[in-house]
Amino acid sequence: MIILSFDHLSKRYGQTTALDDVSFDVPNGEIFGLLGPNGAGKSTLIRILMDIIRADSGEVRVFGESRRRDHLDRLGYLPEERGLYTKQTVIDVMMYFGSLKGLDRADARRRALEWLEKLELPQVATWKIDRLSKGMGQKVQIASVLLSDPELCVLDEPTTGLDPVNVRLVQDLLIERRSHGRTTILSTHHMNQVETLCDRVALINKGRLMVYGEVDEVRRRYSLPEVFVRAHGPLPPVPQVASATESEAGTWRLRLADGAPPADVLTALVSRGAVIDRFEPALAPMEDIFLRVVGEAHV
Amino acid sequence: MIRWTKIKAIATFEFLAAVKRPGYLITTFGMPLFMAIYAGVVALPAYYAQKKDAELSVWGVIDESSLLALKGDAEPSADRLPETLRKTLDAAGQRGAIARAIASEHFVFRPFEDEAAARAAIAARSVKGYFVVPREYLATGQVNNFQADDINLSSSDARRAFERLLRERLVAGLADGRVAARILNPIQANRSFDVTKTGEVREGGRAASAVRIVVPLAFMVLFLMSVLMTSGYLIQGTATEKENKVVEVLLASANPDEILGGKLLGLGGAGLLQVGVWLSILTVAGLGIVPLILSSRVEFPWISLVLAVPLFLLGFLFFGSLMLGTGSLGSNMRESQQLAMMWSLTAALPMMMMGLLIRDPHGVASRVMTWIPITAAPLVMLRASLDPGYLAWWEILGTFVVLAASSWIALRIGGRLFRVGLLSSGSRPSFREIIRQARL
Repeated sequence: MIILSFDHLSKRYGQTTALDDVSFDVPNGEIFGLLGPNGAGKSTLIRILMDIIRADSGEVRVFGESRRRDHLDRLGYLPEERGLYTKQTVIDVMMYFGSLKGLDRADARRRALEWLEKLELPQVATWKIDRLSKGMGQKVQIASVLLSDPELCVLDEPTTGLDPVNVRLVQDLLIERRSHGRTTILSTHHMNQVETLCDRVALINKGRLMVYGEVDEVRRRYSLPEVFVRAHGPLPPVPQVASATESEAGTWRLRLADGAPPADVLTALVSRGAVIDRFEPALAPMEDIFLRVVGEAHV
Repeated sequence: MIRWTKIKAIATFEFLAAVKRPGYLITTFGMPLFMAIYAGVVALPAYYAQKKDAELSVWGVIDESSLLALKGDAEPSADRLPETLRKTLDAAGQRGAIARAIASEHFVFRPFEDEAAARAAIAARSVKGYFVVPREYLATGQVNNFQADDINLSSSDARRAFERLLRERLVAGLADGRVAARILNPIQANRSFDVTKTGEVREGGRAASAVRIVVPLAFMVLFLMSVLMTSGYLIQGTATEKENKVVEVLLASANPDEILGGKLLGLGGAGLLQVGVWLSILTVAGLGIVPLILSSRVEFPWISLVLAVPLFLLGFLFFGSLMLGTGSLGSNMRESQQLAMMWSLTAALPMMMMGLLIRDPHGVASRVMTWIPITAAPLVMLRASLDPGYLAWWEILGTFVVLAASSWIALRIGGRLFRVGLLSSGSRPSFREIIRQARL
C-alpha cells in the first residue's frame, strides 16, 4: 500500500528551479531513504509535504488522499536545522510538541516520560534544555517527534553528532517503528545507514529525481557484471567469465562475460570441480552510486 | 481552516512560558512595589513639611493703625472647605483629610508694643516673624513683614492668613454677621451642571469632567501598555524561535494563522494578567477612592465601561496581529522592534490628539477617527464617556463591525507576513520576496 505519493511536483524560487516534475511513491511500513547532495531539493520536497511551502504545480497525496492540514497530526518531522526552547524544561517542551500533534496534556506527559526512559534519559525531564549536552538534546528532539507515534515520519539527518552507541540506539528505534508498520523517510548523507536500514531510496539532484527503487535493486542496477568468489585451490576457467583477479589468497573478483547470469557461472564452476566457500554478486555501494549519479550530473 | 486545538496548545504553552519567566514575575510584582517605594520617597518630604505646617505658627503684629484692636493672641477663621467637598470627604470616611486641611492653616498672631520687642522675639525664635500695619494703612494698603533669616517657605501662607485676619477685622464693624460672612466667603456652596447638545442636564463641575476624561484616558493608557508589552513578548518569542530553529517544527504542525492566533492569545493573556494584577493592586491600595466617587454624585459613564472589554480585545487583536506579522520580518530583535514601532506610534495617535478630541468629541475629526480601525476603539470610548447621548447606536455597531472585519484582515495579513518572516533566516526579506511568498 502506498502511504505517500509525490505527483509531478515542481517548485521555483525566482530563477532557480528547486523541484522539476518530481514523482515517486513511498510504500507503507518501510524505511525510505531520501538522498541527494546539498541544495538538491530534498528540503523543498519535505517542506511541501509538511505544507510549510506550496508547490507551483503537482500534488502530494498521503494516506490515499490529497494532502490536507489535518493530515499533519499523523505526520512527524525532524528538520535538519532544528532546535528547542532553551529556557524551558525538557518535559514542558516535549509535552508542547505532543499537544501540537493532537495529544492531550496528560497523554503527552505520560508518553514523554516513557520516551525519556526509552532513550535512557529519565533524569533530564525537569532539566532546562540549555543544560543538555548536544547528544542529549538531539535525542530529546527525536523523542519529541516520535512520541505522537506518527504514521509517517520524516527525519532529516537524525544521527548527526551522535556517538556510535546512540547512532545504534536511533537505528534500533527506526527498525522498531518499521516492525510496527510505521513509515519513516530518512534523509541522510550516511550511505552505510541507507544500505543497513533503508528498504527503498529516491535520489534527487538539481531538483530532479535521478534514482528510485528498492535498495538492492538499485545497487544491482548500478553494479558491474562481477561476482566475489572465495574458493579452495585454483579456479577452473569457464566461458562465462571474461577475467578473474585474485584480490587476496583464495578470494577472486570475476568479471562476467556479456549477458552471463551469475547463477550459470556458479553452476559452471562447481561442475568443473571448484570448491566454493562463498559466492555473491558484487553489488555497488550506495556511496559509489551517489557519487556516480551526482558526478555525472555535474559533467 | 483554523483548528482551535492548535491555537489552544500554542496559547497554553506561550502563556505558561511567559508567566514563568523571572523577568515577567519581577515586572508584575516588582513594579507596584517599586512604585510604592518611589511614592514613599517622594511623599516623605511633603509629609514632614505638612506636619511642620500643622504645628502652631506664631507671628507678631505691630498695629500702628489700631484697626485690628488685638488684645491678645488672635487666630483668623480657617478657610472653610467647600461644602460639597466636605460632605464628600466625610461620606468617604476621610475626616482625617478635613482635619489635615484645617490644621495646615494654624496661624496665631500676637500683638507687640514695638518693633524692638518683636525683633527680640524673632532673635529668640519664639515667633517666626512679625507684620507692621502702619498708621496710614487705610490710605496706602501698605503692610510690611519681617521674618527670621532661616529658609522659610511658609511666609506667603502667613501673609494670606494675616490678610484674612485683616479682612475679618475690617468688615466686623461695617456689616451685620450674615453680610460680613458673605463678603468674606461669597460662594460658600456650589453645584455645577452641564447641559449636553441634546439638552440633557447632568452633574457637572471638575469632578464629573475628570471622571469622564479619566475613563477613556485610562483605557488608552492600559490599551497602549498592554499592546506594547505584549508585542515585546511576541517579538522576543518569535526571534527566539527563529534563532532556536523551532520554527519548522511549529509550521509542520500548525499553520501561521494558528501560530499567530495562539501566540496572541497566550502572550496577550499574560500581558492582560499583568495589567490585571497592577489594577487589582491599585484598586486595593486606593479603595478609599471608590466611595469618594460614589458619594460625589458624579454620573459615571457606565456605557463606556461596558464597551471597554470588547473594544479592548478587538483592538488588541488588530494591533497584535500587525505588530507580530511586521516584527517577524526582522532579522534580529532590534530590527523586529523597529519594524513593529510604527504600529505603536499609530496606536498612540488618539492620545497625541487628546486635546483636540476632548474639545470637540463629536466633531468631524472625532467622527472620522471613529471609523478608522487604528483609532476606532479609543475614540468610541472617549465619545461614550464625554457625551454618550450624542453617540448614535449605529456608530457603535458600525465601529464593532469595522473593528471585527479589520481584525480578521489584520490576522490574515499578519499570518502571511509571519509565515514569510519565519521562513526567512538571515537578512530581512525584500519587498518583492514578501509579496511573492505571501501569495503562498
